[in-house]
Amino acid sequence: MKLFRAISFQTSLVARLSVLLAAVAVLPATPACAADGPKRGGTLTAIVQPEPVTLTPAFNTATPTQIVAGNIFDGLVYYDPALKPQPSLATEWKVAEDGLTISFNLRKGVKWHDGKPFSSADVKWSLENVWKTIHPRNKAIFENVATVDTPDDNTIILHLSKPSLPILSVLNAVGAPILPKHLYEGTDILNNAYNNKPVGTGAFVFKEWKKGEYILLERNPDYWEPAKPYLDKVIFRIIPDAAARAAAIEKGEVQYATFNPVSFREVERLAKLPSLKVDTRGYDWLSPVLYLDFNVENQYLKDVRVRQAIAFALDKEALGKVVWYGYGKPAVSPVPTALTAFHDASVPKYPFDLKKAEALLDEAGFRRGPDGVRFTLHHDFLPYGDDYKRTGEYLKQALKRVGIEINIRAQDTAAFIKRVYADRDFDISSSYNGAFPDPQIGVVREYWSGWLGSKTPWTNGSGYRNAEVDGLIQAAAVEGNPKKRTEDFNRFQQIVQRDLPTLPLLELRFFTLHSSALKDVVLQADQSYGSLKNAWFDQAPAQN
Amino acid sequence: MIPVSVRFFGRRALQLVIVVLGIAITNFFLLRLAPGDAAQVLAGEAGSATPEYLAALRKQFGLDQPLPVQFALYLRNLLSLNLGFSFRQGLPVLELIAQRLPATLLLMGTSITFALLVGSAMGVAAARRAGRATDTVISSIALLFYATPVFWTGIMLIVVFSVWLDWLPVGGMTSIERGYTGLAYLKDVAAHLVIPATTLGLFFLAVYTRLMRAAMIDVQQQDFVRTAVAKGLRPGRIAYRHVVRNALLPVLTMLGVQVGAVLGGAVLVETVFSWPGLGRLAFEALFQRDLNLLLGILLCSSVVVVLANAAIDFLYTVLDPRIELS
Amino acid sequence: MALVDIVAHIPPARIAQDNAFFRTARQPSAVVGVLLLGFVVAMALLANQIFPGDPLDFVGQPFQRPGEDPSFPLGTDMLGRDLASGIFHGARISLLIGAVATAMSLVIGVGVGAFAGYYGGKIDASLMRLTEFFQTIPPFLFALTIVAILQPSIATIVGAIGVTAWPSLARLVRAEFLKLRHGDMVQAEIALGASDMRIIFRHLLPNTLAPIIVSASVMVATAILTESSLAFLGLGDPNVVSWGGMVGAGREVLRSDWYIATLPGVAIVVAVLALNLLGDGLNDAVDPKQERR
Repeated sequence: MKLFRAISFQTSLVARLSVLLAAVAVLPATPACAADGPKRGGTLTAIVQPEPVTLTPAFNTATPTQIVAGNIFDGLVYYDPALKPQPSLATEWKVAEDGLTISFNLRKGVKWHDGKPFSSADVKWSLENVWKTIHPRNKAIFENVATVDTPDDNTIILHLSKPSLPILSVLNAVGAPILPKHLYEGTDILNNAYNNKPVGTGAFVFKEWKKGEYILLERNPDYWEPAKPYLDKVIFRIIPDAAARAAAIEKGEVQYATFNPVSFREVERLAKLPSLKVDTRGYDWLSPVLYLDFNVENQYLKDVRVRQAIAFALDKEALGKVVWYGYGKPAVSPVPTALTAFHDASVPKYPFDLKKAEALLDEAGFRRGPDGVRFTLHHDFLPYGDDYKRTGEYLKQALKRVGIEINIRAQDTAAFIKRVYADRDFDISSSYNGAFPDPQIGVVREYWSGWLGSKTPWTNGSGYRNAEVDGLIQAAAVEGNPKKRTEDFNRFQQIVQRDLPTLPLLELRFFTLHSSALKDVVLQADQSYGSLKNAWFDQAPAQN
Repeated sequence: MIPVSVRFFGRRALQLVIVVLGIAITNFFLLRLAPGDAAQVLAGEAGSATPEYLAALRKQFGLDQPLPVQFALYLRNLLSLNLGFSFRQGLPVLELIAQRLPATLLLMGTSITFALLVGSAMGVAAARRAGRATDTVISSIALLFYATPVFWTGIMLIVVFSVWLDWLPVGGMTSIERGYTGLAYLKDVAAHLVIPATTLGLFFLAVYTRLMRAAMIDVQQQDFVRTAVAKGLRPGRIAYRHVVRNALLPVLTMLGVQVGAVLGGAVLVETVFSWPGLGRLAFEALFQRDLNLLLGILLCSSVVVVLANAAIDFLYTVLDPRIELS
Repeated sequence: MALVDIVAHIPPARIAQDNAFFRTARQPSAVVGVLLLGFVVAMALLANQIFPGDPLDFVGQPFQRPGEDPSFPLGTDMLGRDLASGIFHGARISLLIGAVATAMSLVIGVGVGAFAGYYGGKIDASLMRLTEFFQTIPPFLFALTIVAILQPSIATIVGAIGVTAWPSLARLVRAEFLKLRHGDMVQAEIALGASDMRIIFRHLLPNTLAPIIVSASVMVATAILTESSLAFLGLGDPNVVSWGGMVGAGREVLRSDWYIATLPGVAIVVAVLALNLLGDGLNDAVDPKQERR
């Protein structure tokens, strides 16, 4: 091999997140556990909602699947609070100077839950048959991996035809899931029976899935990390109603729940209880952004002034404060601030300004009619619960003030996806997406014209087509120089925030609720999808 | 007698087949009017997808076949009593239904029994003091429960009995972490059943209160009772003896009608209480466009309704020989 | 499930006897029903006068408790919308849903029941199969499916409730028609050569009106409840304010701000109660066999 250099991926994040790190470091030093450290034992009851479709993250990147699977599978790495990769199944990795070779040293002595040894063959097989093909998010990222060498059981070397820097941002258990080759090779992966009774290398072993009720995991006694995990069992209960979830958490029947398990108003109330803790960390790997897609083929919205006017007419502060109860901060760019290496704060901005909005609409030639209405648009909100419905209601009332009538359409997920992405029969839709640590993973798919006509959910919904933007996206994908890549992404942000086919509204802050007796719950930037192997009960959970 | 009942059951069986086929055909095409398909839902939930991924899912689900082919396949499966495969759940529909049906039947049975017993008791109490304040209060309470949205009652009962008083679990069907077996398991399930069954039962209470009250009053007005009263017997005693027969037929009729309604109400109650039953499964299948599963559940609930009503018609003849099987 | 189904499902021969339980309703309760319903209707009619402006507007601080601010006597919801205004305007939508859905059910149910009962034979048999077919699908599940397929809006919600609520009415009307069909009056009309339509609309229907009106009042109540359940499951129309929609939106803050879901819930209870009491009262008033106790 040639010259290798150690990874210094997104080091700039370290500074910002060092505060968090410090907080985490303090945790084990609290008086309660100073003397004896983590304690073994106990059953943790958690919530997964909605019920997962499958427990294997290979071809399904839905949140519920990942929440459970993160405990059963290990990734090559996990992400620390600074979003830096840390050793898991891979102990060391190196990227060649030209970015065309990436090599990993794998941990020795790791066993699958069925006792078979884990080796580089599993990783190679997974890369070739899962990451490059059926994984919904990774295809573009691993596309340029030309060949994979496995000189021995514990070494794997990726040879790329062009650089692909985001690879190192997706190597955790759910981003690049490693499946046991001996159970999957030669089978139809989508229909493999082990998808619903997964065999991983993770800290917890799959035991039982009672559909509609719970998923039971048990401690892996042969886990490669000594003494871990601390918990004997983890039960993921399926509780469909938010009020019932709140009651179960309040009562102590459930001690851990991620991804906004209860309404914002409820969390305000529950946060005051000494038995519970609210944590908004552990979602940085996802970095969710709420946005509006404007259908740029609409007779009004095709005028950039109308789109900008709408941006001026929305009070994002109020939206974050009232509709999202403070769990959202106004977004400036589609690349959220958590991605410090890529976020460009100098993009065109749209502060709340009704006069400007009205002036732009007048200028565009859409004057108020005798009834005060300029024109009417439909709004399709993301059918993921009341928060998005309220966002739509806010939009309706806010735009009424500048003379735009909004007719809100409610529908279920299937209808929403068909309407927006397949039929394109919409005017303004709301949605959120995960930006992930690299804009190439989550952000650019909203803007790249290559997705148009493919009818694929959560891609370019607005119908935006800009050759310069396409060029920047394609250049950044294969750019090996981080500095040059950042420049590409900055230029990209400047253009799309000027053209505004998509209006980023809020950087959402998701929250986790857990029992205060449960310690060391959130230690990773991808904790919400990560393993509970570090968590332990300081005292037996108060259960009734 | 025997030939009549044979003809009765033969006709009912034929009716069942016709209804089931009719429902299968209607629902098959009705459900396919729903916008979007299961592959889009899955891709949507995943938060990311590629066209290749969508195509692979459609192929896996058989959605790439033309509609007539899908329908022919479905009919062929149905004729061999195979309800198809739920690709989303990765299990045969029949197996999924078999897993969930007991929970729903338990919930339905308990809540109807509750409604019947408590409702009847309230009806009798009201009739005995007909026209007085007690009657008004009882009738009003029954009606009030009927008028209150089921989900609201459910959430309120959780707040009071689970969170505040801490007597009963919040939801679900078992305390999984305890790993109960045997008698302890049954007790555990019973504890989980109390609030959901009461919630559903309270809604249906009013009907039985009214039926029983009416039957009681009716009996009190009948000639033989008046005669008996004239003879100096206490009306209450006579009424009790006759009221059961008098009330049983309308109650039975009501039960038949309510089977369908209780199944519908189960959607709400199972959602509020995370009860792992068929109603919730149907609701989820609807939103996930898991049409094979939804179709299977709709068929299954129709069969339950038809069977329940056939059983009730048969019971009529047993209870009242004047009624003939038709 | 409507109480009226009891009547609909009792074999025709026993109708008179089982009507007895309706006899039990006393006049005072009917009066209360009329008063309550009058109040609800007045709320609907006067909504624009008392609370001009869009009830969906964010007019105040969110989460103001009832009485906290005199300008919002019933408080505000999570977005600062006036709850009192919502409840008044909601009365319109909820009553509209109830009335239109019931009207739909009446047209279908009375039509099917009348033709089946009047013509009998094959027509009766096939219409009754149709009725049975609709009856075997749990009505709420059916309504849910229809709304989900057509996507929620006032029109689809009304349509779904209307299409699923008629079978019991059809059976009721058929039973009444069967009774009257062979009566002397109808036989005389037939002998005189009157057309079927004339007999159905001039003679039979007017004589069946009483139980139909009783059923209708209860069906309106059931429709209001069904709409609220649909809204609870997320299948409401977000463009208008309905009681069901308000309860649905408020349920997630039920623990901290009980009044947001409870006040519109009380409105539902009052309306449903009123309609049921009214149904009882009407039944008393039109039932010639009524005996006062």
